[in-house]
Amino acid sequence: MAVLNFIINNILTQAAVVIGLIACLGLALQKKSLGTVVSGTLKTMLGFLVLSAGSSVIQSSLSFFGTAFNAAFHMKEGAVVASIEAINGQAMSDLGLGGEIAITLAGIFVVNVILARVTKFKYIFLTGQALLWEATLCVVFAWFTGLRGLPLILVGSLVGGVFATLMPALAQPIVRQITGTDDIALGHLCTVGYMVSALVAKVTGDRTKSAEDIQLPKSLEFLQDTYLSVMTVMIPFYLITAAFAGAEACAPFCGSTNHIVYAFLQALQFVTGLYVLMAGVRMLLAEIVPAFQGISMKLVPSSRPALDCPVLFPYAPNSVILGFVFTTIGSLIGMLISPMFGAFVIPGVMSNFFAGGTAGIFANQMGGRRGVVIGCIVHGIFIMILPAMLAPMLAQIGFVNITCTDVDTIITGFFFMLIKSVAGFF
Amino acid sequence: MFFFGKKKAEPDRTKEEAAPKADKDGLLEKASELIRKLDTVQDKKEKTALLNEIGSCYFQADEKDQAIYYYEQSLEEDRQLGKAYTDLLKLYNQKRQEAAEAKDDEKLKEYMDKVQGLMQMSKDVLRGKM
Repeated sequence: MAVLNFIINNILTQAAVVIGLIACLGLALQKKSLGTVVSGTLKTMLGFLVLSAGSSVIQSSLSFFGTAFNAAFHMKEGAVVASIEAINGQAMSDLGLGGEIAITLAGIFVVNVILARVTKFKYIFLTGQALLWEATLCVVFAWFTGLRGLPLILVGSLVGGVFATLMPALAQPIVRQITGTDDIALGHLCTVGYMVSALVAKVTGDRTKSAEDIQLPKSLEFLQDTYLSVMTVMIPFYLITAAFAGAEACAPFCGSTNHIVYAFLQALQFVTGLYVLMAGVRMLLAEIVPAFQGISMKLVPSSRPALDCPVLFPYAPNSVILGFVFTTIGSLIGMLISPMFGAFVIPGVMSNFFAGGTAGIFANQMGGRRGVVIGCIVHGIFIMILPAMLAPMLAQIGFVNITCTDVDTIITGFFFMLIKSVAGFF
Repeated sequence: MFFFGKKKAEPDRTKEEAAPKADKDGLLEKASELIRKLDTVQDKKEKTALLNEIGSCYFQADEKDQAIYYYEQSLEEDRQLGKAYTDLLKLYNQKRQEAAEAKDDEKLKEYMDKVQGLMQMSKDVLRGKM
C-alpha cells in the first residue's frame, strides 16, 4: 500500500511521467518491440523537459520586454507577443498542466475517431502540433472555469474533439474547390480566419481574375530560416521598447550592461527559447502522434485525413505569397488598433506565413487577386483583434506577456469563458 | 457551407479522371512510347515534363503504382509544385486508404510518411529552401 501511495503521490503527479506513459501506451498499442517502447517513452519524457526549459527562457525574456514596454509607453493594456508555442510552454510547465494536456491530447484523438465513425463528419485530424495547441487551450480554460481531474480531461477532450472534427468540415466546401477532390481535408486550427478571408473575398473580389495568372517570385527566401525570420521581427520591437523605456527603467534587468545591448540580447533569447521549446514539442509529439494517427486511420479507413496547411500550397503558390504579404499588412494595422480590444499585440511572423498563405488560397478561390488583397488585409486585422481580446483572460489565468495565435484555439477559449459566464447566472 | 454553395456544384475530379476501359490501352501504349523516349532526353526540364506526362498517363489509366513511380522520379529530378505533387497526393491518399482497409500497418505508415514528405516539400519550396 505504501508503495502504491508513493507511486500515486510522487510519480504519477509528474507531468513528464504521465506524458511518457501516454507515449508508452501508444507504442504498445502499435505492438512495437520492447526496445522501441522504452526508447520512445524516454524520448517523449525528454521532449517535455526540453519544452519546459525553452519555456523558461522565453518567459525571462518576455518579463524584461513587458516591464520595459510598460515603462516606455505607459499603456494600461500592456504588450503581448502572439505565440501559441509560448502559451503551450507556460501552460505545461509553469501552470503545471502538462499531464492534463497530454491526456487531453490523447482524449481529443479518441473523441475525433468516435465522431468520425458515428457522424457524417468523416474527418480525422492529423496535424499533431495543432492538436497540442487545442488541447492546451481546452485544458487551460476548462481549468480556469474550475474543473479539475477527470471532469477537466473529459470536458477538454470533448470540446477539443468536436473542434478537431468540425473545423475541417467547415473548410471543406472551399478545400474541395481548391483541390478539385473530396479526398483530403484541412487540419489547421485557423479555419475561422480562412472563412473570414474567403467571405470578404467573395463579397469584394472577382474570381475570374486569379492571382495564379500573374508573375511573382516563386518563393519567399527571407523565410528560409524560421528563427532568423522571427528574429528580424523581435529585434526591432525589443530595441524600440528599450530605447523609449530608457536605461533607468531597464536597470533592474540589465545591471551594468547597456540597456540597448541587453534588449538586443533578450530578443535573441526569445528566439533561443522558441527554438528549444519547438525542439521539445517535436520530440514530445514524435512518438505520440504517429501512434494515434495510425490507430485512427485504421479505425475509420473511409475517413478524410485532415492535413496541415502546406498541403494546399501547391494548388495556388502565388496566393500563398500574396496572402502572406497582405495578412502581414493587415496584422500591422491590427497591431495598431489592438489596444482598443484588450492588449497591444505583437504579430508572429511564422503564423502570418502559414495562416496568411492559406488565407490567400481561400481568398483567391472565392474572389481572385482583388479578393486576396482585401480578404487577407481583413484576415490580418482579424487575427490580431481576437488575440487582443483573449489577452486579458490569459493574463488573469497567469500567462505573462503572451497571447494565442491560431484563431480556432482562441474561439475555444471564448467558448469556455461563455460557458463560465452563463454558469455564473445560476 | 451556406456561404459558398452546395457540394454538388463542384464535380469530383478523381472520378472524372478514371479512364473508360477502352481508353486504358491507348494510355498505356502512350506511356510505353514516352518511356522509350526518356533515354534520349538529357535536358532536366524536358525530362521532368516527360516523367510527368508518363505519370499522368498511368494515373489516368488507374495504374497507381506505376504513376507513383514516375511522379516520384519527376520530383526527384525537379522539386516543383505542380501536377506531379497534386496527383501524388491523391495517389498516396488512395494507397493509404487501401492499406487502412487491408489493416496493413506497414503500408499505412509508409503512405502517411510519404504524405508528410510532400507537405514538407511544399513548405520548403515556398520558403526557397531547396
